[in-house]
Amino acid sequence: MSGHSNRIEKPGFGLLIDHTKPLSFTFDGKLFNGFNGDTIASALYGSQQVLLSRSFKYHRPRGALTMNGLDANTLVQVADEPNVRADLHPVAAGIAVKSINHLGSLQRDAFSVMDYFSRFLPVGFYYKTFFRPAGIWKYFERPIRIMAGLGTLDPRADHKYYDKAYLFTDVLVVGGGSAGLEAAIAAAETGAETLLIDENSQLGGSLLYGRVSDSREAADTLRTRLVAKARGLEKLTILTSTVVSGLFSDGWAAAIGGNRLYKIRARQTIVAAGSFDQPLVFRNNDRPGILFATAAQRLMRLYGVRPGNRAVIATSNTFGYEAALDLLDAGTEVAAVIDLGTTSGPTVDAVRSRGVRIVTGSTLVDAKGYLRVESVGVAAITGQGKTAAATDWITCDCVLISVGCSPALNLASHAGAKVIFDDAIQMHRAVSPPEGIALAGAAAGVWSPARVAAHAKATGSAAARLAAGEPGSEPPDADDPTAAAITHPYPIFKSGKGKEFIDFDEDLTIKDIINSVKDGYDDIQLVKRYSTAGLGPSQGRHANLNTIRIVGAVTGKPLAAIGTTTFRPPLVPEKFAHMAGRAFEPVRLTSMHHRHQELGAQFMTAGLWLRPAYYGSKDDAARTIDDEVRAVRTAAGLIDVSTLGGLDIRGPDAAAFIDRMYTWAYEKQPVGRARYTLMTDMSGVVIDDGVACRFAPNHYYVTATTSAVDQVYRAMTWSNVQWKMDVDVANVTAAYSAMNLAGPKARAIVQTLTTDIDFSKDAFPYMGVRTGTLAGIPVRVLRVGFVGEAGYEIHCPAGYGEALWDILMTAGKPHGLKPFGVEAQRILRLEKGHIIVGQDTDGLTNPIEAGMDWALAKKKPFYIGKRSIELQAAKGITRKLVGFAVTDSASPVPKDCHLIIRDGEIVGRVTSVVKSATLGKVIGLAYLPPTMTDAGQRFEIRVDGGAMVPAEVVPTPFYDPQNARQDI
Amino acid sequence: MKIVNCPLNGPRNISEFVWGGEVKPMPDPAKATDREWTEYLFLEENLAGDITEWWLHAPTNYWFIARRNTITDQFLETMTYDAFLARQPLASAVIPSGEAEPAAKPVTGGGDTGATSA
Amino acid sequence: MPFALLKYGLSREHPDDPHFRWKPDLKKTYDVVIIGAGGHGLAAAYHLAKDHGITNIAVLEKGWLAGGNTARNTTIVRANYLTPEGVAFYKESVELFRTLSNELDINVMYSERGHFTLAHTDAAMRTARWRAEVNKHLGVNSEVIDSAEVKRICPTMNVTDEARYPILGALYHPPGAIARHDAVAWGYAKEAMKRGVEVHTQTEVKKILIENGRAIGVETNRGIIHAGKVMQAVAGSSSHVARMAGLKLPIKTIPLQACVSEPVKPILDQIVVSGSLHVYISQSARGEMVMGGATDPYGLYSSRSTLDFKESLMGHMLELFPFMGELRILRQWAGMADMTPDFSPVMGLTPLENYYIDAGWGTWGFKATPVCGKRMAECVATGRQPDLIKPFALSRFSTFDLVGEKGAASVGH
Repeated sequence: MSGHSNRIEKPGFGLLIDHTKPLSFTFDGKLFNGFNGDTIASALYGSQQVLLSRSFKYHRPRGALTMNGLDANTLVQVADEPNVRADLHPVAAGIAVKSINHLGSLQRDAFSVMDYFSRFLPVGFYYKTFFRPAGIWKYFERPIRIMAGLGTLDPRADHKYYDKAYLFTDVLVVGGGSAGLEAAIAAAETGAETLLIDENSQLGGSLLYGRVSDSREAADTLRTRLVAKARGLEKLTILTSTVVSGLFSDGWAAAIGGNRLYKIRARQTIVAAGSFDQPLVFRNNDRPGILFATAAQRLMRLYGVRPGNRAVIATSNTFGYEAALDLLDAGTEVAAVIDLGTTSGPTVDAVRSRGVRIVTGSTLVDAKGYLRVESVGVAAITGQGKTAAATDWITCDCVLISVGCSPALNLASHAGAKVIFDDAIQMHRAVSPPEGIALAGAAAGVWSPARVAAHAKATGSAAARLAAGEPGSEPPDADDPTAAAITHPYPIFKSGKGKEFIDFDEDLTIKDIINSVKDGYDDIQLVKRYSTAGLGPSQGRHANLNTIRIVGAVTGKPLAAIGTTTFRPPLVPEKFAHMAGRAFEPVRLTSMHHRHQELGAQFMTAGLWLRPAYYGSKDDAARTIDDEVRAVRTAAGLIDVSTLGGLDIRGPDAAAFIDRMYTWAYEKQPVGRARYTLMTDMSGVVIDDGVACRFAPNHYYVTATTSAVDQVYRAMTWSNVQWKMDVDVANVTAAYSAMNLAGPKARAIVQTLTTDIDFSKDAFPYMGVRTGTLAGIPVRVLRVGFVGEAGYEIHCPAGYGEALWDILMTAGKPHGLKPFGVEAQRILRLEKGHIIVGQDTDGLTNPIEAGMDWALAKKKPFYIGKRSIELQAAKGITRKLVGFAVTDSASPVPKDCHLIIRDGEIVGRVTSVVKSATLGKVIGLAYLPPTMTDAGQRFEIRVDGGAMVPAEVVPTPFYDPQNARQDI
Repeated sequence: MKIVNCPLNGPRNISEFVWGGEVKPMPDPAKATDREWTEYLFLEENLAGDITEWWLHAPTNYWFIARRNTITDQFLETMTYDAFLARQPLASAVIPSGEAEPAAKPVTGGGDTGATSA
Repeated sequence: MPFALLKYGLSREHPDDPHFRWKPDLKKTYDVVIIGAGGHGLAAAYHLAKDHGITNIAVLEKGWLAGGNTARNTTIVRANYLTPEGVAFYKESVELFRTLSNELDINVMYSERGHFTLAHTDAAMRTARWRAEVNKHLGVNSEVIDSAEVKRICPTMNVTDEARYPILGALYHPPGAIARHDAVAWGYAKEAMKRGVEVHTQTEVKKILIENGRAIGVETNRGIIHAGKVMQAVAGSSSHVARMAGLKLPIKTIPLQACVSEPVKPILDQIVVSGSLHVYISQSARGEMVMGGATDPYGLYSSRSTLDFKESLMGHMLELFPFMGELRILRQWAGMADMTPDFSPVMGLTPLENYYIDAGWGTWGFKATPVCGKRMAECVATGRQPDLIKPFALSRFSTFDLVGEKGAASVGH
């Protein structure tokens, strides 16, 4: 159990926590108490556990900095979730929280010795060493990798449930502070469907914990009024605890809330995301207990946690003084306000009147204490970044920083707004945001409460009008003189020795930035890359501006000329699982899929489809496949070919159209006949093959391969948009089921069924096509022979697929019919010497190389690819696809893509090879140089292990060269 | 997720569309020199700026023409192919000659421009 | 504590030994002007100076040093290509990378991790074997392994049958490596500048000066420069710059997006690529997962990021590594990929005399940086196309001599 409680038991503090619901959890195994509504960090802070983590490089102790999830100091591990922001993550009873990045305990981190070696680790040190002698890096890399990295992934972690939702709105308002609320209310009141998204559980932004002028009551009253009004508007939808992490083009936004990714389409978007606090850079400015004034206010107002007993405030604006009032109200002693300038006004007077010591024109220059700040050194400022030698030490246990802000321009920048540096306010500003994007509040450079309200209202109603298609008005004036009094121009004070942190995530100090420039990396982009400034989990939110300032000071360039590094999405880190969601992956199943499952099919993927590879156990695959082949060769087999593409081409120009799309000639093709089709692209590369079936003078049914049908369909419609032929092309792939009944018993099987098609040999010859009914089912029957046996490819409306499959299986049973899969079909087609486009051709194969010269119509004036094929024919080919057989039956069986080697050179490649049980030898197809393609020519294939297998060129088909069997 | 205004289907998410590449007139394959033909096949304007190109609405397999700015990632305009043709000084110039009848049918242009602003 | 760091630790002041010594002014004439100060242009300058004694060189860069694709790639180096031409070329690149830290006196953190190209289909297994056979023939270490072996080497990967696209096996390439991309370019710049080469950033070429059919110089936003020879190495702007030289290229420029996660302790040693799932991933020395996928679905000259990219990438990433669900994406960005019809680069001579091109680097430019620099330098210095890069000449497109890399490169990492 940790130290005593640090809670404030007063009204007006602890807005988010429920004192009646205490809970306990563990941090590094120790039990801690908190309340419902606490974050991990607030509960720990409330129990005096200020130390949260160790830093990335030097392993220095770190505590909360922003209390808003915007720094790496609060990264912890919660169960299997790495890099959890302890200051955002709600605490829950019983959770086990672990600190990260230390060896031994968080209190006594053995790696903290790194802090003393820092002088040996100059900026970019890893570029300067660890590489001599050659090869030494691999011995250094592993320990460096282990030292780097923050959280830990558990490879056994479960995949949790995440999902996605789509939202549509006229106006999206990002940020529910006063500006966002005013803008959203105005937009909704103007009539727009409005969506307001805020990352916190309660609306109000800084009104939840800050002050309006010096009044906490005014902030509370304003918040209550605005929230009540917003909640009462029918057209205003509110999402809290949700963070907009990216804005993309055309009003597309990503937001994350809980385990859900919202994808939002908005006609207009208003970014009212506020600003990011900027640190005061001085020696040991990273000690736990030193935090932004807003972080302290959040601790007090939201969680009822006192940041310390005795505080020092370093500020250059009224916000620091406002925080002093909060501390006093919470019962914390304010030892001093150190004002970098001479801030004046009622808030300053109020602080002074409560007896607080105010030191003007001075800054913090040092901090003592290790695991928590114990005192700070104060010195007078004598020039930009310079201080007097005399240091006044003040004892304290917490330090609040308020020396400036940087508007949250990330989202506007994602969407395409240009970001410039505005000298007048010493802050960046988004200019010329793209259409549909506007900014409000601090993000727009508007700060004073009255101006924020007026500007945001005008922005909200303008967005509503634009969303309704009405002309927008002139953009409201975003010029706010008070903005100039917020951000100190150079809150950077280098000490003689020690570390003054610019980037807390990456452990970068003033010296690192100066030395980057000194090493020649003088462009801000190079500084960032060389030093890694801004590359850590907070992505430069607190480091960019000061890095730019130092580069400006060293190079003498004005800040506006230095530019800034580009903002990249996401605004806040997004879990992989948020992006993945439920990861829907479409799967296409044929009508007979369940029958295949019942038959014990092993499936393979073919594009989105699942197809049976073979029917039987994996352990017995080879024998099963051989049995399926034997059934087709000796009796009959049935294969589901529903995945084949089917295109209906109808119209007076159907034949002429096909003539132009494919390489062969179709105009004279008789009705009732099929003809082989070969398609190339414009450069003559083979992309598809199939058959064209002419069912009527004006109607062709063309098949395409499973994987290419979409591409073929697109090519056809693209062509005909331009050709304007009188033809209609429809992709009917999904509308038809198809199965190929093949084997010597095929005819006998169909003839047992009721049909109006004459299946007799003479009436329905090879390459004939018929329409009719089979067992009452409407069918298109193609007598084609991919597998080299008599057979019928039967296509029917997809809804009948399973019924027809069942009918054929039943009818075939007495004849020895077996279902066969893709594996058997591969063997059968190869025995027949048929190519598979994509396996026996590659991304550059032309029809001549593929041995398909016979399918090129010589007389047609045009077909796609004709000119390119002719050009290549004239040039001469360098390879040709031929059949081969392995000549030594004792040799190992080559595999697809084994190479053909001659005299130590690659001369060819096997594209398909099988051990054919039917033929009793190993056969295949291979590319060979044209000089080696005569039948009987011998060559050698190099197989696994390097053995050379002798083979010879064999004419195809290997099986049934007379093509007698398909004509039975 | 960008929105593309399909001339047939109206505004839809760009994930429904397939990029078809720049519109480039095909030289007459029967008359072009080898060089002209290979340049047509392989070389691209690849302009940074306003370009005219093919897009396909995949679910309806509908091809159309878009004018797009390749620097700003904005669709300037989408239109039917006929509307595009109607804007060309010589409408028939984009149709390769030397091809089989009836493909050389005259292109009807003018009346229906079908252009939609993106 | 490595010796090299002592000088920093033991001296009071940071040593005045900058990597880059910038020259403020442009000269009127250089022997060679190289357009583009990315890795390729800088490597070419370095090799011109070191191997060929040509040091009167200006490397002109419209942006900042190595701020284009050199700064945006995902740092994978490998030689397991498909074609003998490609394998021979990248093999030399891998050999140069291995000694690059010493060559350039900067730690480029070249880390051999082993590279998987996963196969989820029979077709992908065939391509894997094709690549392995060609690789082995040319002395490049690649093997086809089955899913059990994948699991043995990379135990955290999900190789179960429950996946939508189960892993059937992989092409495993042990020399596959990652490197610190910036350091490669900085090293070349540093060593080139040390030899007298000038690098001028914020210097944009507006015009290529041509006289009597030969390139004689360039006009920039800072004035006219004459040059004996001009070379362009401007990935992402190749067509634009080539057009100024009167050249039209076989290139479509398409964004390629990438992202990194927050750093975590080491959990993935290898580089894992899946063409079917359109993902690749490796873990950097800093602990970040460096990830990407296929090129964007349409051509564009904008490095804008999209949500769609992350959604599709992560859907598939979690299929391979389900335990990464709670890890967070820290940053996403895009580079410009100059895609060619045959997925191979365009290097060497052009129809314009004294004008040399280095383009068409698609998604595979970083891994070629050393060899490309070396061979382009040879080409520029001698005016002849070196044998190693002959297959990649621009002229191949007019003679139908394309390189057949396309089959292996659906995700080219």
